[in-house]
Amino acid sequence: MRNRTKTQEYLTAFVMLLPYILSFCVFFAYPLVKAFVISFQNFSFLGDAPPKFVGLANYKEALTNKMFLDSILNTLYYSVLVVPTQLIIALILAVIVNDKVKFKEFFRTTYYLPTVTSPVAVSIIFLFLYKTDGLVNQILRHIGITPRNWFNEPSFVMPAIVSVAVWGSVGFYMVTFLSGLSTIPDQLYEAAEVEGAGELTKLLKITVPLLKPMIFFNTVVSFISTLQMFDLSYIIGGSDGGPMGKAMTMVVMIYRTAFKEFNMGVASAMAFVVFGIIFALTLIQRKFFGEEMSY
Amino acid sequence: MKKFLTVLLTLIFLLSLVAGAFITQKDVFGTSKITLKLGAWASSPAEKKIVQNQIAAFKKLYPNVDIKLVEIVGDYNQKMQLLMASKTEPDIFYMDSMPAWQYIAKNVLEPLDSWMKKYNVKTIGYESSLLQPFIYKGKVYGLPKDYNTLVLFYNKEMFKQAGLTQPPKTWQELKEYAKKLTTDKVVGLTMNLELARIQPFAYQNGGKVFDGEKPVFTDPKALEGLKFALDLFKEGICKTPKDLGAGWVGDAFADKKAAMTIEGGWMIPFLNDRKIPKDSYGIAELPAGPAGKSTMAFTVAYVMSKNSKHKPEAFKLIRFLTGEGGQKYVVEAGLALPSLKSAGANFAKTYPERKALVDGAKYAQVYFYGLDGTKVVDVFNKAFEDYVIGKKYDLKKNIEERVKQIMK
Repeated sequence: MRNRTKTQEYLTAFVMLLPYILSFCVFFAYPLVKAFVISFQNFSFLGDAPPKFVGLANYKEALTNKMFLDSILNTLYYSVLVVPTQLIIALILAVIVNDKVKFKEFFRTTYYLPTVTSPVAVSIIFLFLYKTDGLVNQILRHIGITPRNWFNEPSFVMPAIVSVAVWGSVGFYMVTFLSGLSTIPDQLYEAAEVEGAGELTKLLKITVPLLKPMIFFNTVVSFISTLQMFDLSYIIGGSDGGPMGKAMTMVVMIYRTAFKEFNMGVASAMAFVVFGIIFALTLIQRKFFGEEMSY
Repeated sequence: MKKFLTVLLTLIFLLSLVAGAFITQKDVFGTSKITLKLGAWASSPAEKKIVQNQIAAFKKLYPNVDIKLVEIVGDYNQKMQLLMASKTEPDIFYMDSMPAWQYIAKNVLEPLDSWMKKYNVKTIGYESSLLQPFIYKGKVYGLPKDYNTLVLFYNKEMFKQAGLTQPPKTWQELKEYAKKLTTDKVVGLTMNLELARIQPFAYQNGGKVFDGEKPVFTDPKALEGLKFALDLFKEGICKTPKDLGAGWVGDAFADKKAAMTIEGGWMIPFLNDRKIPKDSYGIAELPAGPAGKSTMAFTVAYVMSKNSKHKPEAFKLIRFLTGEGGQKYVVEAGLALPSLKSAGANFAKTYPERKALVDGAKYAQVYFYGLDGTKVVDVFNKAFEDYVIGKKYDLKKNIEERVKQIMK
């Protein structure tokens, strides 16, 4: 046994990893490559006609489709609203829940609960809450604000969806912030208190700088997940994108192109455009936060 | 002796082999069953019951055919495409009129003409407009299972309070009545803001939105008709169910948020479920426009997969389901209208108060816009939204712009 060669060791490792490698190839690598190939083809699930190579035509069609371009803007608008809002709320919640309050276990659970609820169920409940005669409007009427048809007015639908998204996912980011907070040594805060620093100063001068890696991680994850938003928008706006298409996101558009317009080639091309956008934005964020933050 | 035994054993062996072959052959012919798969989308229990009754009746006629109902939950077209890609699609299945040509053009459905000839099924037996979506390049690909038309539902109580006795018969009356019926709490008319409800107004004005195989986007007569309907929304005497905070027009009408609505016959079972008394509402044909009457027909056909291994049996099943034997159950249930003309007459007799639904079939336009159906509907729907919500009042220019963006 002592004379085991490097090759033998590699072989063992390979055999151990085989289940993962296999599932990776079958369920990730193959579909990815296939989708990439389809994005250059005139491809259909239906029928036995062989797919035809069409060069960049699918990409051209995707990038000249006004509805797809609109969906990119809608999605970016959604991301820009969601990411900062949910991270700031999550950070504040994490700081509060970290030590100050009584029953903190209870609050931790409550804030996390929406995260484990299915987004579809969440959207349907919010459809009821935001109805013209729903709870939200009843409350608004009492404080003298005219009730609105939140999910059916072009300028309100996206912000309304944003509120649902923030509610639904803030718990997840709170938990990651919490784990980050536990790594900050208490002495720093004690020292700051001796110096007479207030809560806000402590938050801005100690917590935020030391949580920078966590903030970067959360920003990237949050950005990626918002750019891939499908469920809320699909349930609330449908595959037509809601009032005047204002709730149409990039992924709903891909779904629509593939399964309503039967156009797999263009849908795949759109998917790779979305990939490109996410990739580019993530690179920009890396630059913004500095190289040492790489995860 | 040894030799004899060997011969005997060999003989016995051979005999048993032959006999075995015979027995198994007999087995094949005697007890084995063909299994046909029938694909359907998941619907209400009442609707499922019809299909189950039809299947039971068919099994009585053809005991050697077993039928498995494949219910597809969720997005039907998405699942069907995946089933086809893996060549596991049902032998026969529901096909909605809208995407029909997209399937047919991809060459995945069996043309039925030769089968129809062989088993003596004629297209003239069916309500004629219903076949249009399933005929492509002169070949028939599907036989309509049932259909429904749009009619005007009105609340009799509210009519009485407003001093109205009859449902509106003309555009002018429709507008006038809607105005009279609109109060602080109730809106005169509710309908969806989409081509599938607004289009009849184009035809009632003598215009067209679809001609033969091609959409017509900016027929002036059609635009004028569409505008008439859209202006009802702008005047606030017609609202979408969403504007009324209802899930769909059925809820808005049942909750007495609207006095009239334009919707299909599927409203009736829904209103029954909501315990709305039958004589509290009336069903009338859509009001006629300057050029006469028009409505929309929505239909679903049975089609056969090209990959089916039991085509003769599959066709017999289609023939049964769309023929007198199967349509009987459609009439009895009263959920949708039977696609056979003869059965339609029975329907009107069984349900006299629903006669308007059958009458509409004579002049209805079927919900179908050729190969680019989804895009056509989108052009109109988005333009309607722009006109009513977005305040881009030039309908023609807006439609033209959208056509340029999506259509090729």
